[in-house]
Amino acid sequence: MKTILILIYKDILRFLKDKPSVILTFVVPAVLIMIFGNIFSGGSSSRGKIPILFVNDSDSPIAEMIETKLDSSENLRLVKSYFDEDQQKEITYDEKYAKEIVVKGNYSAALILPYDFFTDTSTAIKFRILYDPKNEIETSLIQGSLQQMVMSQLPRAFPLLLQRKLIAELDTVEINKFRKGLAEAVSTTFDVNIDSVLSSMDPKRLEQNFLSDAKSDDSSSEEGNIIKGLIKFENEQVVGEEIKSPGVTRTVGGWAVMFLLFSIVGASISLFEEKQEGSLKRLLCSPVSRTQILWSKYIYTMLLGFFQLSVMFLFAWFVFDVDIFTNLGNLIIMIIFASAAAVSFGMIITAHTKSINQANGIATLIILIMSALGGSWFPIIFLPEWMQFIAKFTITYWSVEGFLQVLWRNASFTEILYHIGALGLMAVLANWYAIIKFKRGNIF
Amino acid sequence: MLKIENLKKNYGNLEALKNINLDIEEGEFFGLLGPNGAGKTTLMNIIIGFLNSDSGKIIFNDKIISNHVNSSKKDIGYVPQEISLYQELSAEQNLKIFGKLFDLSGNFLKQKIDEVLDLVELKERKKDSVKDFSGGMKRRLNIAASLLHNPKLILCDEPTVGVDPQSRNAIFDLLLQLNSEGKTVIYTTHYMEEAERLCDRLAVIDHGEIRAIGNLTSLINLIDVKDKLRIIKNSDTEKFISDLKSFGEIYENENHYEVIPNKDYSKLSKLFTDLEKIGFPEEFVAIKKASLEDVFLNLTGRSLRD
Repeated sequence: MKTILILIYKDILRFLKDKPSVILTFVVPAVLIMIFGNIFSGGSSSRGKIPILFVNDSDSPIAEMIETKLDSSENLRLVKSYFDEDQQKEITYDEKYAKEIVVKGNYSAALILPYDFFTDTSTAIKFRILYDPKNEIETSLIQGSLQQMVMSQLPRAFPLLLQRKLIAELDTVEINKFRKGLAEAVSTTFDVNIDSVLSSMDPKRLEQNFLSDAKSDDSSSEEGNIIKGLIKFENEQVVGEEIKSPGVTRTVGGWAVMFLLFSIVGASISLFEEKQEGSLKRLLCSPVSRTQILWSKYIYTMLLGFFQLSVMFLFAWFVFDVDIFTNLGNLIIMIIFASAAAVSFGMIITAHTKSINQANGIATLIILIMSALGGSWFPIIFLPEWMQFIAKFTITYWSVEGFLQVLWRNASFTEILYHIGALGLMAVLANWYAIIKFKRGNIF
Repeated sequence: MLKIENLKKNYGNLEALKNINLDIEEGEFFGLLGPNGAGKTTLMNIIIGFLNSDSGKIIFNDKIISNHVNSSKKDIGYVPQEISLYQELSAEQNLKIFGKLFDLSGNFLKQKIDEVLDLVELKERKKDSVKDFSGGMKRRLNIAASLLHNPKLILCDEPTVGVDPQSRNAIFDLLLQLNSEGKTVIYTTHYMEEAERLCDRLAVIDHGEIRAIGNLTSLINLIDVKDKLRIIKNSDTEKFISDLKSFGEIYENENHYEVIPNKDYSKLSKLFTDLEKIGFPEEFVAIKKASLEDVFLNLTGRSLRD
């Protein structure tokens, strides 16, 4: 037993000396648990609200009430206005501009309460949702939240809506006859004053009751089910309807970028291998400068990244029919910039670490965190807002968003300028930093 | 051919090289002898331009190396201590890459590859991956890679570390052959036998300082080390120990005694005569010739393997 204990002690000691293993064993899971925990624990305190555009063209008090209720939603954040170019004047969105913005990809959906929200008696109440299913889960969440909100608030409108439907079907004289007959029957059967029964059936009174009841915020699912047919949601997909494999088109970029980072880091830290096996020293004894060695490594890993991404997208095209050719030029530009940023990340890891084990450990930690934060695994909309903010400093975020723009939205060069600009900036800064570190470091 | 003047190199507070001065002639087989950590590899690294010195200069073929790093590299072949090869590539592929870095190409490069592989007796294995080679074969290929560009000066940094005696001898023969063909060789080692066997001239280096330079004989004469007597320890010899003290200093080891004769015995024949007089059993006595080990011990106060 003593021998076994000594051997266990030896393994513990070796494990603790191997810092990358310690990081991978404890830190990586802890960080990932924190990220996933924030996503799946639910509630607005942990998850960020999904921003949607909101346009209220109706002057109905019911529309106003719906807007108020949506304002306090735990899942949605209504964006109703924007500032003009001079940042002076606040302008309310209209339906046309809201649609344009959704098509551009700045927001995933817009909820429109049209001018005939409550006056179009053919449908009782009408909502219009313009959506871009670039992210299926996000779209479902938005639609689900909207419908839940509306369904929970409108049951009290049932009598009011029913009367409006009757008015649409019959004329006012016939309705009044029906109301009077119904009031008499109720009065006779239950021995109540006929005037009070008639008063309770007055449409204006019904509307007031509905609005005041809504504030008390209690609802009945049975009523909700009854009125389902009285509410109409008009869903309009404004982007990506023609895409053959929407699921793969949406996700291929995210996965491709994650694997790109892993392979590029592997190639970059091969400098350590070359140092360990001595071949780096032999290179330096040849008429070769350190700068030339770094450049060769940079270009090689760039090419590796370019071909890896190209093969992944070709595979997606071949197997899943993802359309990579319609916007091929911009796809290639995105591939180049994503590869450049990934290579710079690899260089920083190499310059900043002292051994291949350390480099592998740190790189794995950062890549997994970047993938989780940057949208490789799931839409970042599910993350708390502070995490969404951090995500914007990751290569993954700008790559995933850029590929989505190109493949999903068929974006033009100017529309991906932000993405390639961010990736380019990251590449330049990271390389600059890596070169400084290489000069001071111990790899050469 | 190679002149080193007032060379200094510090690693933080550690003085790795302290004012090194050396002058190595063309065609010489020059040895740098010192224990691990003496500064041999640092000195080599500075000569090949892998490291920069803090002060001093190295003149190679009348040019200061730091001002002509790349042109100097073309005339220097460096055999590193490590196996500096790409293990997953074949011998030929490795040599092709290193040859191309020296601007060799086409048929000339092919010819040179065959030539050096022939020299290290690996021509038949040129298509095999280096990882499948034995330690000795890797060492020989490591040397071959340094010879492709036909350098005038070959720097060998402990090229026989971890090599079996047979391969070691093959490496010695190869280096001696290259030297006989006119190549200048600088050879670092902490094995005295290697230095004694190979080098025309030696520098003893310790703690970053050159303690002595010369050929083996001159070094031994320089520091006045003498041949010793080695006496096997047994019941027949132990009873004479008190008598032996009048012959010189006695050092007792596990299995034997070492006697460093005093000044009266500048000739060991006289000592043997006196031993005979006291009835000492001469079959247990042997002469231990003065060696580099003694030179090093005398110069540094410690053994080469410390």
